[in-house]
Amino acid sequence: MADSKMNFSRRTALKVGAGAAGILAAPALMKVARAQTGGFNWKKFAGQSIEVSLTLGPRADVLRRHEKEFTDLTGIKVGSEAVPEQQHRQQVVIQFNSGNPQFDVITISWHVQKRLVGKSKWLTDMKPLLADTNLYAPEYDFPDMTAGGIRWATQADGRMDTLPLSIDPWMIYWNKELFAAKGLAFPKNFDDIVMAAEKLTDKAAGQYGWVSRGLKNANVPVWTSFMLGHDMDPVNPKTVQLQTTTPEAIAAAEYYKKLNKDFAPPGTVGFNWNESQTSFSQGKIGMWLDGIGFAPPLEDPTKSRVVGKVGYGIMPNGPKTKNSATFGDGIGIASASKKKEAAFLYCQWATGKLMASRLLQSGGGSPCRASTYSDKDVIAGLKLPREWLTCLQESTAIGRPGLPEIVPVTEFRDVFGIGLTNTIGGADARAEMVKATEQFTPILQKSEQG
Amino acid sequence: MTQAALEQKPVEEAAPERGRAFGRHYLPFAYPALAITAAVIVFPWLFTIYMSLHDWKIGQQREYVGLANFAKLATDPRFLESIGHTLYFTVLAVVLPVIFGTIAALIFNERFPLRGLLRAIFILPMMATPVAVALVWTMMFHPQLGVLNYLLSLVGLPPQLWVYEPSTVIPSLVLVEVWHWTPLVMLIVLGGLAALPAEPYESAKIDGATGWQMFRHITLPLIMPFLLVAIVIRTIDALKAFDTIYVITQGGPGTASETINIYLYLNAFSFYNIGYASAVTIVFFVLIVLLAVMLLYLRQKAKWS
Amino acid sequence: MVVRRLLRNLGFAFAVFVIVSPAILVMLWMLSLSLKNEVDNMAFPPVFVPSPPTLNNFYDVFEKNRFDTYFINSIIVSGLATIVAILVGVPAGYGIAKAQAHKLAMLTLIARITPNLSYLIPLFILFQWIGLTGTVWPIVITHLVITLPIFIYIMIGFFESLPADLEEAALIDGCSLWQAFRYVALPLAKPGIVVGAILSIIFSWNNFIFGAVLGGRQTRTLPVAVFNMLTFEQVAWGPLAAAALLVTAPVLLLTLFIQKEIVGGLTAGGVKGG
Repeated sequence: MADSKMNFSRRTALKVGAGAAGILAAPALMKVARAQTGGFNWKKFAGQSIEVSLTLGPRADVLRRHEKEFTDLTGIKVGSEAVPEQQHRQQVVIQFNSGNPQFDVITISWHVQKRLVGKSKWLTDMKPLLADTNLYAPEYDFPDMTAGGIRWATQADGRMDTLPLSIDPWMIYWNKELFAAKGLAFPKNFDDIVMAAEKLTDKAAGQYGWVSRGLKNANVPVWTSFMLGHDMDPVNPKTVQLQTTTPEAIAAAEYYKKLNKDFAPPGTVGFNWNESQTSFSQGKIGMWLDGIGFAPPLEDPTKSRVVGKVGYGIMPNGPKTKNSATFGDGIGIASASKKKEAAFLYCQWATGKLMASRLLQSGGGSPCRASTYSDKDVIAGLKLPREWLTCLQESTAIGRPGLPEIVPVTEFRDVFGIGLTNTIGGADARAEMVKATEQFTPILQKSEQG
Repeated sequence: MTQAALEQKPVEEAAPERGRAFGRHYLPFAYPALAITAAVIVFPWLFTIYMSLHDWKIGQQREYVGLANFAKLATDPRFLESIGHTLYFTVLAVVLPVIFGTIAALIFNERFPLRGLLRAIFILPMMATPVAVALVWTMMFHPQLGVLNYLLSLVGLPPQLWVYEPSTVIPSLVLVEVWHWTPLVMLIVLGGLAALPAEPYESAKIDGATGWQMFRHITLPLIMPFLLVAIVIRTIDALKAFDTIYVITQGGPGTASETINIYLYLNAFSFYNIGYASAVTIVFFVLIVLLAVMLLYLRQKAKWS
Repeated sequence: MVVRRLLRNLGFAFAVFVIVSPAILVMLWMLSLSLKNEVDNMAFPPVFVPSPPTLNNFYDVFEKNRFDTYFINSIIVSGLATIVAILVGVPAGYGIAKAQAHKLAMLTLIARITPNLSYLIPLFILFQWIGLTGTVWPIVITHLVITLPIFIYIMIGFFESLPADLEEAALIDGCSLWQAFRYVALPLAKPGIVVGAILSIIFSWNNFIFGAVLGGRQTRTLPVAVFNMLTFEQVAWGPLAAAALLVTAPVLLLTLFIQKEIVGGLTAGGVKGG
């Protein structure tokens, strides 16, 4: 890694997650418990059972696959389930509001739920737990957590109500074979992307240069990926004002429209990440813009026709900056839980060094631990090509939040997502963005008051 | 419902004729059901009305706003659009099953071998779990890998985008509804056909009437009450259709298939805006009642003629 | 003449074929999807008869998702909701029919018209207040919204069509109203109860939204479980179709075996539809 990249990454690491080797570790301000003599007793709460609620996806997969190990280690029984994203988010609110949620541990998407959860203090503050000698396992090594991850996990009022689980930067998967056939190189900037997509599209042959999410709500990160390249955030972090009708935002929407309307397979209006993934894995798509954690099935010979042909490209330069839209997940304990201690042990295990290395190796996400990326054995055990890891590290280094940190994120995604989906059908990008902004402004204002 | 509570004094002195006044004594039979209904139906309704008068988001403070939610609804473009989608969907989802169901009833009214078995097969869609079936239809609708486009290609028609295209999504959903509920119409009309007298047909045949004429002038008027029952039931169900639309499109693409019920769900469970959602519920209910009453009025008129 | 007859029969047979095939074909396709492995399922043109067929999808469904638990939950919920509806709805139907209390009958109509979603939040808050959240009871009680009106509706129609002579005779002989109901009318009502029970079980079994909102990990019902399988695995049509089949097979089988009674119940109910 060149030195200049290191400096750049230092700065942006303060914003977002893990990164290249040598990244900043947790500042000394975090108080963690001293080591106990005689080693930590994981079996303190043996015999209890906890309920764990996960969002269906690569992270949940890894956790559930090794669940039995946790029970062997601690004697705590785990009842877990992985619920699809949309249902999970709805359930979360309903359950928390009942005052009696049926889970002790839950994974949270920071980019959607962080403020919602923090506002009502639905999750327990981790800081006292980390400082408790009875509960904190020294091998957990909290200072190993990256500053970015900790920042994501910490609320504005200083409570840290989750432990950092994983960061998901967005990048472009590209089909090397298709590119080579047309003598194209991986695009260097946004206009290059459009040009490549155009050259790679041959509708008669059923081949398309581009695929990305068109389904409302899920498709917003595609748009913000382009917006960030114009050095523009959807909501101004300081003034909490919408910036979605700025020329930059409209330009990003135009890119979204052009690529999805002209160069993507028919039916993308209904595509979420899994349909896009299927499409790309069939071998007739040039580029797919999405999160890096969806790579594993692409390299699985029983599922994919592009094994060994996948390129992992960092988001190219925008007109002003080079950024990768980044999102993250944390794992937390319900405030109403009656088994906080046992739940805390689970959280430590789930974000501990072993599980972090497994997460990285399986390609399911990017753990927030500095040591994972510098551990040679972990790297050697990687199930995906080295290029994937490099892309991951470099993307995180230029990471920037892809969604605004507001309370009504779901509504934001819904309102703007609809506008974006409409552009695929031919609607005018500016008109749709203006309409959506008008609709959403009062909602945002109201949420900032309450 | 104890014996004691219902014991009447021996009625040997009363004549076997009991008037309507006596009917009152039967009401206690219904008390337990009424109690449950009060808890499970009346209470939610009252609470819904209460919520609709507040600006209430789960997790935030609620605030009394009177009729503000309703005023907002009247100018909410998304809500008004959803009414349009709902009516479009409903008209198709009522007319088509009624036509096909009537034809099916006419067919099943005849006797032919294996009629019982075939009828059983025919009503299967109505009984199938909507969610399960909707998932199968989703797979069939897939533009590249789905079997429907394959069938189209066999007869030389171009592939469709079905539910992935705003202009064809509602007709595609109607297709599923028609498949699903035609059997119900068939059963209702069949009941009517079974009760038809034979004489009018015999005289008509002697007079030399054709099948179509007999249908139009004898059958149709006689089964009209049943057709209207079917229409009313179908209208109510189609207006309220949820599972199918939610599973297949969630109201998409964009908002192209967002009916009032889906919009209601979004407000209540995605945006947690239960005050606003309650207002939608009330308006929705009023709409359904109006349509049902209108159709019943037509039925009354048909009964008398 | 004979030719004409033959053509007419052929035409009729064709009409029957056209009418019945959509129903059976979709079911067969669901079966086909569930018996195919991944490769076959992603093939285009679609493979109709899997070669070889595989039961892996069904194993998957039971292994990866706790379908046995959800199956039992569905049975408990639909069973209990139906039993309560019988205990309470049959007498109610009798009472309303005899009292000719049409206004009360209107209540069941209101229940039918109300969008199901609107019951959820108030009931949820009620259950929270009572402290029942986390058990199966909220779902059972909410399902009464479905089952009770069915029974009341069918039984009203049924009792209205029963001739009153037998009960009259009983009353003259000195029976109380309850005894007349219990020993005279009730046995006669068995067919109606059977139909009501079947329809009630089927519609309660099929219900999705109540279980989706009120159900937790251990208490949710089958339709919710199968819906949760939808996203994630790309084109995992095999397991999805297998799950869908498993969810709907019980009610389909029930329908096939008892179709005569169902037809009878629905047509009678339809006629009497007020």
